[in-house]
Amino acid sequence: MTLDASGRALSDFTVELDVYSGPYEWLLALILKDELEIFEVPLRELVRLYLQTRNPLDPNALERDTDFAGSAAALILLKSRTLSPILEVDAEDVDEEIITPEQLAERLTEYMKVRHGAQTLRERFAASAGHHPSAHSLPPRPGRLQIKPERILEAARRSFSRPIEPTVRHLGPITVTLQELVSVIHSALIRGPVSFEVLVKDMDRLHSAVAFAAALSLAQEGRLKLSQAEPLGSLTLEPAE
Amino acid sequence: MSESTPQASHLIEAIFLSSARPVTLDALCSATGLPEDEIGPALDALAGRYSPENSGIVLRKVAGGYQLSTNPACSFAVERFRAEARPAPLSGAAYEVLSCALYHGPLTRGAISRVRGVNSDAVVRNLLDRGLLAEVGADRDSPGSPALLDITEDFLVAAGAASREDFPPLDSLVREEELTRVRERILSAGDTQPPGDSP
Repeated sequence: MTLDASGRALSDFTVELDVYSGPYEWLLALILKDELEIFEVPLRELVRLYLQTRNPLDPNALERDTDFAGSAAALILLKSRTLSPILEVDAEDVDEEIITPEQLAERLTEYMKVRHGAQTLRERFAASAGHHPSAHSLPPRPGRLQIKPERILEAARRSFSRPIEPTVRHLGPITVTLQELVSVIHSALIRGPVSFEVLVKDMDRLHSAVAFAAALSLAQEGRLKLSQAEPLGSLTLEPAE
Repeated sequence: MSESTPQASHLIEAIFLSSARPVTLDALCSATGLPEDEIGPALDALAGRYSPENSGIVLRKVAGGYQLSTNPACSFAVERFRAEARPAPLSGAAYEVLSCALYHGPLTRGAISRVRGVNSDAVVRNLLDRGLLAEVGADRDSPGSPALLDITEDFLVAAGAASREDFPPLDSLVREEELTRVRERILSAGDTQPPGDSP
């Protein structure tokens, strides 16, 4: 990812998302500093916005495309790293937390309650929005507020400095790719709708997770349909019409 | 204008107008020098005068006190006048974290992440910045004494709630049949495959 101050090809690219509005480079900085959760950033929307502003006749087009592809790849890596199960290098040294089905059921039911609570809160916040209290507040005493130039310089330095590139050393050898699982899903769909449980019956946890990601990806692209009658119910993959 | 002693409702009204925060009954008694049994009827009178049907200002009972605020029906004009947009809406993750703090708080960041099943530190930081969550102490029994988080007065104001008790109990939010169905589904799946092997 090229974000150095001189010749930053993407410095004029701004984005408008639900969770953020402003320069793309700042968005990257916020994500890398954990100020913004990667889950909240729709990567597909970012790509769409970039393609909208892309001008192939621009003399810097190649540099811009390269920078964008590099940064977008880093975001995908970050997101997938967050979503993927942690690969244990040496299982003997790690006390793996084993969750029994009873504990899992307990956790999920607790989470369902909290989630319903969140929905109630959303409705209450929406109903309560638009109440503006008195704007009266005590003004600060003269001379009490002062901002030293060094602090402004420090803030500017942090805002405009090159974000630290995420390390990938922790990633183990990748033994499965989305592409492989996409092919598996396509092959299964030739025979018609297939249940996700049947699809991953003989897969290990990593393959199952990647198969799930592949199915979501294909559904987002409109290449298949996902249906689930109720939360936690059976998930069915159907060929797109 | 009369020079005589102002009525209780006038005194209270003046205090409300000068305060950006909810004012408690104790604070009203203390500031006006009036007993609680005189404040009560005055508040009732103000509630009638400042109702959404009668005024562009409404009297709200929020966060353990009373507050005058603009009528939401007039918010478009107020926001245009103040030339400021409402804060960006909270994300689904943020409401889940607030729900954890409301129903299980005070609790640590780790406890929130455990309930949600994902790391919630970034969401918590955002809510701390917005004043909807606050660190209220430390869990001395846990290694490192992590900070305990709880909802704030701003949270209650934003939710239009007088107190924690103003929210429906957590157990009433999900139908028991729904929970039973989920439990049965997980337990039956657990009977057919070893734990942790399902996606």
